[in-house]
Amino acid sequence: MTPRKAISKILSKPSTNYILLVLMLTIMLSPIIFTAMTSFKPREETFRWPPTYFPETFTLEAYREVIFDSPMPRHLLNSLIVSGGTTIIVMVGSIFTAWGISRYRFKGSAIFLFIFIATRIMPPIALLVPFYIIMSYLGLINTYASLIILNTFLCYPLAVWMIKSFFDSFPGELVDSAIVDGCTRTGAFLRVVVPVSAVGISAVAIITFLWTWNEFLFAMIFSNTRAVQPATVGAHYFVGDELVQWDSITATAMFTALPGLIFFSIAQKAIVKGLTAGAVKG
Amino acid sequence: MRLSDSKYGVLLSTPGLVIIIALIIFPVVTLFVTSFLRYTSFHPLSFTGLKNYIYIFNDRIFWMALRKTVVYTVGVTILTFAGGMALALALSKIKRGAAVFRSLAMFSWAVPLVISGFIWKWIFNPNVGVFSDLLMKIGLISAPIPIFSDSNLAMLGCIVADTWVRIPFMCIFILAGIESISEEVYDAAKIDGADAFSTFSHITLPLIRGMALTGLLITSMFTFRTIDVIFSMTEGGPARGTYVLGFYIVDQLWRRVNYGTAAAAGVIMFLLIAVFAGIYVYNIFKEE
Repeated sequence: MTPRKAISKILSKPSTNYILLVLMLTIMLSPIIFTAMTSFKPREETFRWPPTYFPETFTLEAYREVIFDSPMPRHLLNSLIVSGGTTIIVMVGSIFTAWGISRYRFKGSAIFLFIFIATRIMPPIALLVPFYIIMSYLGLINTYASLIILNTFLCYPLAVWMIKSFFDSFPGELVDSAIVDGCTRTGAFLRVVVPVSAVGISAVAIITFLWTWNEFLFAMIFSNTRAVQPATVGAHYFVGDELVQWDSITATAMFTALPGLIFFSIAQKAIVKGLTAGAVKG
Repeated sequence: MRLSDSKYGVLLSTPGLVIIIALIIFPVVTLFVTSFLRYTSFHPLSFTGLKNYIYIFNDRIFWMALRKTVVYTVGVTILTFAGGMALALALSKIKRGAAVFRSLAMFSWAVPLVISGFIWKWIFNPNVGVFSDLLMKIGLISAPIPIFSDSNLAMLGCIVADTWVRIPFMCIFILAGIESISEEVYDAAKIDGADAFSTFSHITLPLIRGMALTGLLITSMFTFRTIDVIFSMTEGGPARGTYVLGFYIVDQLWRRVNYGTAAAAGVIMFLLIAVFAGIYVYNIFKEE
């Protein structure tokens, strides 16, 4: 038997796939597990060499410090305000636009869609200058408003794309019959289309929330006081010039990654569907 | 009065129109205009033609940053593709527990890039991190590797941290591609006596080409412009070893306070990405 045949035979066995998967998932998940484990160590233990893989002394001291003795709660609240605000604005704005483009094609709707794909090409970092000029002119530097506006710029086009792809597969007869039954067009949309597409729409809302929560560049440039800075910027608090407080920084990392991990655990299927819809179609 | 359907469509799309004009067209025009202006905090505003571009093209640091960006982008894209492909292939072949395995495989997508930088900064830390310790336990190295004091190794470290977050997205793409291939094609190949390698290279790979290409382009486009991971891992160091184009733009804006050159650098980055994107958009329209 040639080596190629032998390897091929091993690869076709179902158990091989499980073994390979467990191996790959160990590598993929271990950073999160290491981080969690470090956050439960006392500070002294985080500086030890060789490093411990599981905490020898289990403590919640790092979490206590992050919650009570650090500005992190403020940063997390800022993140919540910015992400929540962005999600509401993006969702309200995008479901109507997506429905308008999907059902009532009008002159120029194709250009709309083209511009929306084109924005994915525009690197946000290249637009720092115009946005900085605009925001300074409007006096919005270092406000929630600037961060919400900029995150709307980042998320809105793709949200329209994803929701449009859900609406495109919506059975039009349902809307027609609702209108025949006396619904207005807007009424039919709000009472029939939106509730039926609720799963898809909420997936897009979650994706928007997470993107905004995870956003760093605009947050770093446009907010410069702890009163406004979101968690992705505030997390640098524990990184000193000389000393990094690993227990606190890992606890902070856990807090900052938490919304993503929670949303992902409950709505992973819907999120994946939304991401594929948005990306494949645009 | 009842609006016609197409007017109603326009009305519904108003929020989109406002955003297109205020947040897309207006800033892009401002960007291009600013790139031709002398716009600093010391001089009065004036038109300078191509001077900002000439400054950048003569700037040694710009070319170095561009080189670093290409290395970073190519490294992340290749690793992400390899990882996403391996994961997607394995995931597509199992049945029992598929949902659980899929969930677990996607988790790192939810971690913010900045936080990924912190996590890997700790893992790679030669004094407290597990990476060196693991390699020493296996016996591959005899002393901890000081990754962040060597510019090439630091670059590699940043590439790994970035890749780790991007693999799930690539995997979703490739998996969607694999799942659209019908069972019958594989059955026919099996009857013809194709082994795992030829099935992969003659069936799977050609049939997921479109999906894989889209995934590759999105990953490379996004990596090209991202500084999040590097910012929290090395801040561009050591000795500008991980100083990518994004840092160059931020430094023009923050350190030199020169809006003109920062805008010109932004335009250059935009044009470079447009080349990638051209292929991407072309592919979408070709498929439709």
